[in-house]
Formats: sequence, C-alpha cells, structure tokens
Amino acid sequence: MRDALRLRGVTRRFGPVIALDEVDFALAPGEIHGLLGENGAGKTTLARVAAGILQPDAGRVEIGGQPLGNGGVGVARALGVAMVHQHFSLVPRFTGFENVALFDVAAWTRRGTLRSGYRDRVEARAGELRLAVELDAPIRGLGVVARQRVEILKALMGDTRVLLLDEPTAVLAPQEVEGLFAVLRQVARAGAGIVLVAHKLDEVLAAADRVTVLRRGQWVMTRAAAEVSARELAEAMVGAGVGVRGGGGVEATAGGARAPEFGAAAGDVVAELRDVTVAAGGSLPLRGVSMQVRRGEILGIAGVGGNGQRTLAAVLAGMRLPDSGEVQLPEEVGWIPQDRTNEGLVNEFTISENVAFAVHDRSEYRKGPWLDWAGVEETASALVRDMDVRADSPAVTASVLSGGNQQKVVTGREFLRSGNLLVAESPTRGLDVKATLAVRARIGEIARSGGRPPGVVLISADLDEVLELSDRIAVMVRGRLIPVPREDHNPAAIGELMLSARREGAP
Amino acid sequence: MSTRFRTLTPALTAATALLATLVVAAALLALGGYPPGDAFAALFRGAFGTWDRFVSFTLVRATPLLLTGLAIAFAFRARVWNIGAEGQLHAGALAAVAVAVALPGAHGLVVIPATLLAAAAAGALWASAPAAMKTGMGVGEVITTLLMNFVALFMAQFLVQGPLREDRGVFNQTNEIPPAAHLPDLIPGTRLHLGFLIGILIAIALWLYLTRTPGGFRLRAVGASPRAAEVSGRFRAQPVVWLAFLASGAIAGLAGGVQVAGVTHRMYEGLSPGWGYTAIAVALLARLNPLAVVVTAIVFGALSAGGGAMQRDAGVPEVWVRGIEALVILAVLAVDRSWQALTSRGSRG
Amino acid sequence: MAEFGALSSFLVAAVGLAVPLALAALGETVSERAGVINIGLEGSVIWGALGGALGALALGPYGGLAVGVLAGGMAALVFAAFAVWLNTDQIITGTAVTIGSLGFTGAVFQSRFGATGLALELPTVPAWEVPLLARIPAVGPAFFDQAVTAYLAYLLVPVLGWFLFRTRRGLALRAVGESPEAAHAAGVPVVWTRMLAVVFAGLAAGLAGAHLSLVHTGTFAENMSAGKGFIAIAVVVLGRWNPKWVIAAALFFGGAEALQFALQAVDADLPYPLFLALPYVLSLAALAGWFGRSQAPRGLALPWPR
Repeated sequence: MRDALRLRGVTRRFGPVIALDEVDFALAPGEIHGLLGENGAGKTTLARVAAGILQPDAGRVEIGGQPLGNGGVGVARALGVAMVHQHFSLVPRFTGFENVALFDVAAWTRRGTLRSGYRDRVEARAGELRLAVELDAPIRGLGVVARQRVEILKALMGDTRVLLLDEPTAVLAPQEVEGLFAVLRQVARAGAGIVLVAHKLDEVLAAADRVTVLRRGQWVMTRAAAEVSARELAEAMVGAGVGVRGGGGVEATAGGARAPEFGAAAGDVVAELRDVTVAAGGSLPLRGVSMQVRRGEILGIAGVGGNGQRTLAAVLAGMRLPDSGEVQLPEEVGWIPQDRTNEGLVNEFTISENVAFAVHDRSEYRKGPWLDWAGVEETASALVRDMDVRADSPAVTASVLSGGNQQKVVTGREFLRSGNLLVAESPTRGLDVKATLAVRARIGEIARSGGRPPGVVLISADLDEVLELSDRIAVMVRGRLIPVPREDHNPAAIGELMLSARREGAP
Repeated sequence: MSTRFRTLTPALTAATALLATLVVAAALLALGGYPPGDAFAALFRGAFGTWDRFVSFTLVRATPLLLTGLAIAFAFRARVWNIGAEGQLHAGALAAVAVAVALPGAHGLVVIPATLLAAAAAGALWASAPAAMKTGMGVGEVITTLLMNFVALFMAQFLVQGPLREDRGVFNQTNEIPPAAHLPDLIPGTRLHLGFLIGILIAIALWLYLTRTPGGFRLRAVGASPRAAEVSGRFRAQPVVWLAFLASGAIAGLAGGVQVAGVTHRMYEGLSPGWGYTAIAVALLARLNPLAVVVTAIVFGALSAGGGAMQRDAGVPEVWVRGIEALVILAVLAVDRSWQALTSRGSRG
Repeated sequence: MAEFGALSSFLVAAVGLAVPLALAALGETVSERAGVINIGLEGSVIWGALGGALGALALGPYGGLAVGVLAGGMAALVFAAFAVWLNTDQIITGTAVTIGSLGFTGAVFQSRFGATGLALELPTVPAWEVPLLARIPAVGPAFFDQAVTAYLAYLLVPVLGWFLFRTRRGLALRAVGESPEAAHAAGVPVVWTRMLAVVFAGLAAGLAGAHLSLVHTGTFAENMSAGKGFIAIAVVVLGRWNPKWVIAAALFFGGAEALQFALQAVDADLPYPLFLALPYVLSLAALAGWFGRSQAPRGLALPWPR
C-alpha cells in the first residue's frame, strides 16, 4: 500500500542549528504513528515540514506518493495534510466557525463567498467526530480544551489523509487525553494516517501503532509499539550513557510518584495568603485562595494550565494586588516566570544585563549615581559557574543560549532574590532531559539548603514534576486552591481533582 | 530597536548606508538631468570648503539636528516612537521668545538659563499630551505626536501673526529678543554659538545615563521588552515611558530655544525646515547611540549647508536634500536587514 | 432652493474636502486590516497630486487621475518593498517615504516648472450631476453633483465592506492582520497579501492626491498634501477599521474643515491658523475619546519575518 506520508533524506537548518539531519520517515494509511524525542530533537520541525509550513533544505516529502515540492501549505493542504499545532494556529478574534472556514477551500464558492450549507456541513462533521465545538464564540474567549476541539475540527473538515498533531496532550488533563485518543482512533479507522508528536512515553505507547524516535535531528529507530518497552524508548531518546533517573515523560513510566524527601524541617512562615480574591481583569481570577509557605518546604501546585496559576504567581511575586483578602509577603521574592523568552529574559541583552534585573537597584551595586557593572559582571560570572551555564562569558547575548541554558540563567538570577520565597512557574517546560534534571536539582537544593532556606512554591502543569519535588501539594481549579491529602499524592487521584471542579462548575 | 543594531559594527553599517545613498542619489540626479559629480562637489564645497563654511554653516546647521536627533534617539531607545520633535521644537522656540522678550533688562546669566529652561519645559509639555494618551488610554504615539506637530505649527503661525507679532507690524514675526538673551559665540569670529556645546554635553550625559546608570538600564530594558522589564525587573514600564517622552520633548524643545537664542533671535513662520523629521534620519544613522548622533548630525548639517551651494553652483534644487535624507533612512534599514539575512535564516519555525 | 443656499454650499465644501480623506482612509483601512500601518500614505497622496498634474497636462483630466493613482501606488510599492518584503520597521519606513516623497515631488516639480513657478493651471475634472438625486434639496448637490472621485469613494464603501467581511480573500486578509502565524499555517500567503493591501492603499491615496490637484484646486503646489495622509490614518482609527464608519469619520473631518472656511467668510478677522489647527485637535480629541472602545488589528505594525 502507498504511504500516506513519506520523508526521504529531509534536512532542515535554522541558522547554524541542524533541526533535521537526513531524516527518513514513513506513515501508513490508517496508522497512528508516535513521534518521540526530547525537546529540540526535531519532532515539531518534521511535522511542520510535512505540513508545508517549512521548506526542507534537502530531501523530499511525498504525500500519498505525490511530491510536495516547495508548494507550501496550500499544496500540502490540497494533498490532504492537516496539522494541529501545539500553540494553536487560530486567529484569536475570529469565531470558531470563521477559523474553520478560513482553512477550508471547500467552504467557498468560485466567486470567493461562503457556500450555502457550509455551516451545516461543519456541524455535521463535528457530530460525526463527537466533538462538542463552540462555533460562534471568538477563540480568545475559549479555554484550551475548547480551542483544541476547534483546531481538530478545522484539521478534519476536508478529505484529510495525513493528520499531524504536535503535543496535543500537553494541555489536557489525564482523563481528557483518553477522549482525544478515541477521536484519533476513529479518524485512523477511516483511513487517515496520524502522526502523534509527544514526549510522554506511556501516552504514545497507549495510542500508537508504531513509534519513531528522533534524537538531535536524526532518526534513531522505528518500532511497532507492541514490541518496544518504555525503557528502550527512553534510552533511544537520550542516547546511551545518559543516566535517566527522573525527568519529564521518562519518569512517568519509570514508576510514577517518588516519595518526597524532607530536608530541613519546615520552618517559620515566609508567605501567607488569606482568602485572596482577584477579579478577572484580563487574566484568570482567583477565588478565595488561602495558603502558607514555610521555610525549607516545596509547596507544589498542580493543575491544568489556565486555571488561575499565572494570577497566583503574580500575586505571590508581589506584582499584583488582590481585590480582597490579605497577603503577607517578604520584601523580595524570586520568581521564575512561565514564559522564559518573553518575560524571563531580554533576548538581546547579555547574561550580565539579564542578571542585572535582580540587582541593579541594590545599594551594593551602586557607586554614587552609577551602576557598578563590574560588580554585576562578577555576580553573573559566579552564576554562570554555579549553574553550569554553557557560555564562554557573561558578556554573551542571551539569544544565542539554548533553552536549557537560558532557563539556568533565569533560575540563578531568581535565586539571588530568593532569600525568603521562590515562586517557580513551570520551570522545566520545554527543556531537554538533562536541563530538566539540572533545574529540578537546583530547586530541590535551594529548599533543602542549610541555614535559612527559602520556601518554594512550585507551580507546574507537569504532574510528575510536582509529585517528584513537592512536600505538600495543592491543585488549582477554576481559581480555587484545593489541598491534596498526603495519601492522595498519586497521578490518578490528583488528575481526578484537576477535573472534578471543572465538571461541577460546567453549565 | 537599539539591539537589532548590534549585529554589525555600527560605523560599518553607517558607512555602507551612506555609500549606498551616494550611489542611489547619483543615479537619481543623473536621471533628473544633473551631473552628479558637479552636484556632489558643490555640496561638499558648500559644507567643508573653508573653515568658516564648516563652522559657521555646517556646525551651526548641525546644532538643531544634534538636539532633535538626541531627542529622537533617546525616545526610540525606550521604544517610544516620538515623531513629534518638530512640534516640540516649535513649542520650545515660542516659549523661549516669550520669556526672553518678557525679561528685557535682565542679565545674560539670568535670561539665558531662563530662556532655555522655558524652551525645554514647553517641549516637555508638548510631549506630555501624547504621553498621557499612550499611557492612560492606549492611543499609539505615532499618530498623536504627528498630529501635535501640525497643531504646534498652526499655533506658532497664529501667535506670530497676532499676539506675539512684532511691534513694527511689518512681518509675521516676533520682536527680537534682547541682546542679553543671545547665546555667546563658541568660536570667536564665527557664527557658532554655545548651543553646539550644549548639544555635545547633552549627548555625553545621555550616553552616560543609558550605559552607566540603573535608570538607563531600566529604560533600555523597557525599550527591548516591556513585558520582561515588568516581570524580570519588577518595575513598571509606565514611568519609564513617561520619562522618555518628557526628556525627549524637553531636548527637542531646547533645540527650538537654542535656535532662537543662538541664531534667529526671533520667532517666525517656517523657523524649522523640518528638523524634527530629519532628526529621525540623524538618530537612525547613529544607531540611536547619543555619541554617534554628534557625528551624524554634522553629516546632515553638511547636507543642509551644502544644499544651498548645490542649488547655486550646480543648479540642483535644494529640495533634493530632503529626498537624500529619506534615502539615508531607507539605506540604513536595508543594509541592516541584508546583513541579518546574510548571517541567519531567521529563527521562525 | 434659495433657503438652503448657505447650508448647501457648506455641504458641497464639506463633501469636497472629505473625498480625498475618505479615499486615502478607505485604502489604508485595507492595509491596516492586513496588519500594515503606512505612515508613508502622505507620500502617496503628494505623488498622486503631482502625477495627476503631470498626467493631466499630457493626457487630459481623466488621464491625469489615472497617472495620479499609479504614482500613489508606486510610492506605496517602495514602502511595501521595505516594510513588508525586507521587514523593516513600518513606522520608520513610512516616515522616510513621506520625507522622501515631499522632497522628490518638489524636485520633479521644480525641474519641470522652475523653482519659483507661476501658479500652474491644470485642466480640471468636471462634476457629474446625478439625475434626480442631485435635485434633493441641500444634500443633493453636495453628494450628487461631484466629480467622479467622490462617486468612487462612495462605491468603495460597499465593495470593501463586502470584500472584507463576506469573501474568502477578505477573511484571509483580516487573518493576516490579526494573526500572521495562524494565517500562514492556514496557507494564506502573508507577504503577498500585505504587499497587495499596501499597494491598494497607495493607489487609493494616489487618487486622493489627484483629487487635490485636479478637482479641488486645479493646480499643484509643493507640500500640497498638507498632512491629509496623516489625518487619513487618524480617520481609519476613528472609523474603527470598518469602511462604513471610515467614510462617516471622513465626512466629519470634511465638515470641520468646511466650517472653518464658512466662518472665515462670515468674519475675515477670525484667526485662521487656529481654524486650520482645528481638524488636528479634533483628531486628537476623537482618538482620546474613541480609542478605548475600538480594536486595532492585533498584528498591526508587527513584522512578519519570512
């Protein structure tokens, strides 16, 4: 049978970085093909090349035997390729229906106006796929799950032969993942080939027929899912000789929760929120949140993204005043923000300049009216050394660092502010295994350090990370903070909590 | 903005851009039927031909460009798109004349500082309206500062035709300011006045502020990424934006005051041939570096000083100079982009 | 008809003054909907005026209009080549195009007609009276006894409304302005869409300029665009990027300008520079009052690196 999708020797570079290095890949019709690899292994690039969004520098892409050439998205679409992006490619101001129609050539007449009856076809297709899609609300008002449904419906409106999904489960709670996979199986049964880009091994093994692993832009292996173990895949992803003792998806299959080690006995309270409420003003609200953070403990806050975690972080960092309730915070708070590239760093600044954010207004870095750049440089050099940042000097521009090294800079800088409290927001999102382990280790160390360690609030959508590091755990749902009893510190129980209030709160 | 400009050594970019401008301008001049060689030679002689041409014409004309160029560079560093230097300059000139005329008997040590401070204050005031509209209502400053230019122009027209019109009532201009208010000469025997030195001192001060002080660091951070400044720096972008507007407006206002106190000694319609706009080219060619603005302002001062000679000696209308200014801006942008395209394929994807 | 005399002549002037603003602003609406703000619109207007003048001398008034349109489009093409193709900063590029256009139109004009230049007399585009409609008291002559440029402006409103909100290309163009990433992923050619939108705006602004020289004044003078392109950009904001509100905002500004002439006619001693400043002050006030409730395309002025 002819392959639904075939890549032959595809190479793609971004500047000096080789994202794909002569990669071969085949997708059969009707199969779900898991595509695994660490961050930066080239998974997303492969999917985007297949979708015509990126042009390969060398090699060929064939869709159902037809060469894609340099035709771009339009040609790929015409050949039946559709892609569901990790950061959805929806126009936020448009409604779901407009987004679907924009993507679908069949929606329009020759004159370029909307076909009569198209709306009915969209609704019928959504019904077939059992997707409850909100078609008339602007996308920006929808939650991530609703957005993903629009994105999937959009991808499946036409005669889709190849469906590419980039980390579709990253935004979903465990129970929602099963619903998504049910839709995918149905689509595959209808004859389409599906590429499922993911980093969680157990999910891929559960859903996929075959699995391909990429590492550093190169093809490593392709195996039937039934014949390969999670451990083999993990080793293929990171390469031999790398100790894999935790981290991301690898950890999930290797045994789930590990007992948190208590360091210094929990000390005095460094931060406290009492019945804090923040009204929705551009961000998600907080409703009656109360919490205490003590020295030497890590308080893990789990939850599906977009339930008020960002607002909570801003309150804890002292950047946002609550509308009601009481807040007691130390004068200075370390805050590792979620969005490293846009919030945690100025990409065009040097490492020193980025470190200066934490110290530029301190008296010990002043000489009269002047900022003591030599002192800042010294601090930055020490940080580069201590955090093991791979950079020649602190005069290196942040934009040339890898994601992991950037995050080490941000983490190290925020440690400078963390005498009492550190707020870490998804600190390892998008990092490779090595960097993930390093950053987690540092966060663990600072909370367990002797003397007067800070209290740490770890906000993360990665359940494994929360389970691995936290002494206490709470779940954030719809702006409320729900403490999780110690005996429930396992993925199933917390996953259930993450969804419970959503059901209760749903109309 | 500022940091895009780090990719290529600034001087090299500027030189490449000037060379490209020269080539394109030569082609256009030839197309228009003028011998480019003659035009450039006349232009060069007019600007640098003699010591007096250089000091009394090029440097004198460079002075308002230096100040407005610094105003633009400082604002752009904070990513405040102040296109309103022209209006702020007019506001400053009007205030300078009003104050100087109102202090007829005062000593120069009193009246000169008072005049210049009034000019700076008026410029800052003129910039405060767009600043308030941007920070308070989210109205982009590009359109508002532009519109404010026209308001300033017509206000100046109104004042010199009416309330501030000279007592003789002959021309649409104000009375001459008292001699005590005239800026002293910088180099005896030339027309170069204290204003040029003031410009250089401000350039040094701005450079020190941007590179050596915590405030300057904050301003550069807001210019590079307001969001990162707020989250990583824990400071609000708004006060920084206000500072950029007010300082930029004050320096542009000072340009008007300096021109009145140093050169024209009175205010009239059409005081500025568009210095506030030329300043954008001056600042960009300097890659928004205040010290480099001193050099680029002299380059544009030379263009201005040589323009008259070009018209007189080579028959090329002086308006060509405006066109050449635009070519400089476009050349800087294009050279910068081409360099980026050569060094990387872009990271999108 | 006599009792409507003053009102009627005011309205005639108001519509006449509104037409160039409306044309330039309607074009710019399309460009901004595609995510490009073109401060160089002023340059397209002045090139349109000069092109109109030169074209009319060679080819007659209608030929002049056509040449003016093309000249405006050429200026916009230069802007697009930099701001869209090379991805340079839109605001700085637009400023450069405006400065350069004012300079080079002056240079061309002077080389053709001399530096001092006697007042140039151009063949003008006559008004066409629309049968019946022009007979409506007061409003009739104002709206329906105008040159062809006015009717083109009226026509653009429903056409652009239909295009932007009812067609696939319109949806795609708005998607480019709102979220170029999403549009690109949906197969919309972002760069070409933006190029075409900018050039369209330039063509419309060129027609606006040709209106100034061939309908409004019958002459050409340096800098005669006098900020019309800038006001047009404010008009787009006031019109909330929607053609029907854009033309309403243009009429409002035309009215404000006409009022100033009417008042001068009543009392010659009124300080006319203050009235000249009035449209700009009104623009600022309107921006301050309206902006909070209107929504600019999200991708406006943001670059799209290919």
